[in-house]
Amino acid sequence: MTMKFFKIASKAIRETFRDRKGFFFLLVFPIFFIAIFSFGFGSGTSTTGILPHDITVVNYDVGTAVISNNTTRHVNYGHSFTEVLQNATLENSSTKLFSLHNVSEEQANEMLRSRSIEALIVIPKNFSAAFTSMVNDSARTAITSKVGAQALASGTVGQNQVAIQSSQTRTPNQTSAPTQQVLGATVSANPTGNALPKNVTLPKASNVTSVLSVQGDSGYTNFLYAQGLITTTFDQYKNDVAAKAVANAASGGSYRPLADYIPIEMQPIAGTQSFSPFDYMVPGLIIIAILLQVSLVSASLVRDIERGTLDRLKLSVVRAFDLLFGTFLAWTLVTIAQVPMLIAVATGLGYNYSGSTLSSLELALVIGVIAGMASIALALLIASFAQNEMQALELGAMIVLPVAFLGGAFFPLPPQVIEFGGMTFSVYDVLPWTHAISALRSVLTYGTGLSADIVVQITWLIVLTAIMFVVAVVCYSRVRLRPEA
Amino acid sequence: MDKYALKTQNLTKTIGNLLVVDNLNLEIRRREIFGFLGPNGAGKTTSIKMMVGLLNPTSGRVLFDGAKLGSAHKRRIGVCPQDLSMWDALTCRENLTFMGDMYGIPAPRLEARVNKLLDLLALTEKADQTAAKLSGGVKRRLNIALSLVHDPEIVFLDEPSAGLDPQSRLLLWEFIRSLRDEEDKTIVLTTHGMEEADALSDRIAIIDHGKLLRLDTPDGLKQTLGKGDVVELQLVNSAMNAKALALMRSVRGIEEAYELNGKIVVRALDATSKLPHIIRRIERAGAGVSDVSVRRNSLEDVFVSLTGRALRE
Repeated sequence: MTMKFFKIASKAIRETFRDRKGFFFLLVFPIFFIAIFSFGFGSGTSTTGILPHDITVVNYDVGTAVISNNTTRHVNYGHSFTEVLQNATLENSSTKLFSLHNVSEEQANEMLRSRSIEALIVIPKNFSAAFTSMVNDSARTAITSKVGAQALASGTVGQNQVAIQSSQTRTPNQTSAPTQQVLGATVSANPTGNALPKNVTLPKASNVTSVLSVQGDSGYTNFLYAQGLITTTFDQYKNDVAAKAVANAASGGSYRPLADYIPIEMQPIAGTQSFSPFDYMVPGLIIIAILLQVSLVSASLVRDIERGTLDRLKLSVVRAFDLLFGTFLAWTLVTIAQVPMLIAVATGLGYNYSGSTLSSLELALVIGVIAGMASIALALLIASFAQNEMQALELGAMIVLPVAFLGGAFFPLPPQVIEFGGMTFSVYDVLPWTHAISALRSVLTYGTGLSADIVVQITWLIVLTAIMFVVAVVCYSRVRLRPEA
Repeated sequence: MDKYALKTQNLTKTIGNLLVVDNLNLEIRRREIFGFLGPNGAGKTTSIKMMVGLLNPTSGRVLFDGAKLGSAHKRRIGVCPQDLSMWDALTCRENLTFMGDMYGIPAPRLEARVNKLLDLLALTEKADQTAAKLSGGVKRRLNIALSLVHDPEIVFLDEPSAGLDPQSRLLLWEFIRSLRDEEDKTIVLTTHGMEEADALSDRIAIIDHGKLLRLDTPDGLKQTLGKGDVVELQLVNSAMNAKALALMRSVRGIEEAYELNGKIVVRALDATSKLPHIIRRIERAGAGVSDVSVRRNSLEDVFVSLTGRALRE
């Protein structure tokens, strides 16, 4: 038995490639599209970003114990800094600098890749310990500068003591003294605030250091802007804490910035060190090329109606399955040609392809083919209702560009979350192409293999595409393939 | 096997409030060319669409070979639509082969059938040209070939010769006759060309406003409807014209008699059968007839007399 869908697919491919305008639109236009975006975004652009910046803080800080007034207190500078970030506002304004998302590090990493957040701050385990070292060192330096090296050489002093206690610096001979808490640091200070007494106990110096990690996609201008603000906020926080400690400990001693106990380190997502916005966009552009099929397929289907060739097919013994599967098969082959071609062109134009050789390409093809199927489903829906070829083309264009934007082809849109059945969804997630773009970006730009997240994205893509396809096939069959009522 | 290839029984179609086809009853015989005529908007295309299964009737039914029309009959019906319907990007041969594939014709048989049709419709030279590049006449011939590639028993040809030059039209007429005579096909022919319908049809149905007005052979229609045949008589002695005219006007069945340019002009239905009687009467009156010419009643006259002169669409 002849497999008619092969004949239909073969016919559709011949028609497509013999139609020069269609061929241009399908294969050459996306290349121009990519070239234009490479020119516009390939070298990176700077924007001021939109406030507040979406960030996530993952706080692994275990805190530190502070003994004051014979009581042990637990302080956590990581928590304190998180609160500072949460409350930080633009100068002379109530506009918040950051919007914090409370998710795990793993989730945050995925969100970074999908640009749902702009930066991820990881506060290390010994953050408070390092902070205490810094504060002690600051206070010690301030006191030293006041009393002089000679006074200090005498060792133990009398009743008025200055001590900063921590698990790292605690000494057994400390005496009680009034204490103040300064941004989490407990500082025993001279209560009078006058000239230093003779007997002074210096806080013990320690050299605990830590690194505050700020992670993000270095090809994303919003990350660059967010990390600048994070650095400024952190420097300010450190200075405030140290300055207050010094003020309390040395009663008016001036604070000078010391060696940085907690440097801030920018960590680009793996492979994004030399990324530009173009690298972010390429997977989206590939999906746009696949989405362009919507106009072409719907126009070709409506052309069959207008020219009466669909009636010829309806009069023949071809089944709806052959007709629709044949159409799908033809355009799938086009997609299979398109995806590697566009990756190659983009790479030639400076795209940082991070795919791991063949498997990434295969995965990209699978994603592309399913996205193509979703496009064909959309085309069938359009062809079910369009009155003529021009209307199909117009409808296709009208739908495709907003879908590309909403799917995050160019930039991530602010999340529009809806709650359903106790679960939250982003409204864009109902579009299969959103998942296609996200999965393709993970595979091609961030070099992710078949990770759990990709599997989830592809599963959503398949489910949504299947729903769309069933709706479209039923709709098209009822409206176009049955005898007219 | 039923005597009739196709029958319609009380076939009716209403679209909105408009009655497009009104209780149409037709019986189309096997191996006949059945002319299906009517003015624009008379309901021909709607009727054909129902007869081939593209449109569901509001009521009534279509019987194919005695059985209710269904998908099982698809291979036995061919339809050549009025508008050119083909895949422009495919060549003539590809169009035909693709259409044959859609009917599931085995490759060797299909190849032979395609070659035969290309040959019969003088398309062989254009076989490898894409349809988009063909002239109107060649496209028209390809349009017909596409409806025949699966070798159907009954073929609906809707305006098959529209836009054809005289040579192509003659070729097409021969081809249509050969379909009946050599391939035993039944042909339903819709045309606005009365000459074509007259020349090709075994029987003709004329419909208007969705109703069947008359169904008969072309001769039958012409003998009973329209203005009639026109007979011109030249008398030996034109001075006898007035007397002869008076005689003619008294003959039963003569619609009109008048003198024009020295000749007597007589108009009557089926005048040829009345002609011997007319000549006898004139000769008995003492006038000799020197010349006789007859212009037959045309199908167009019949058509106009049935459907009127008012424009439709």
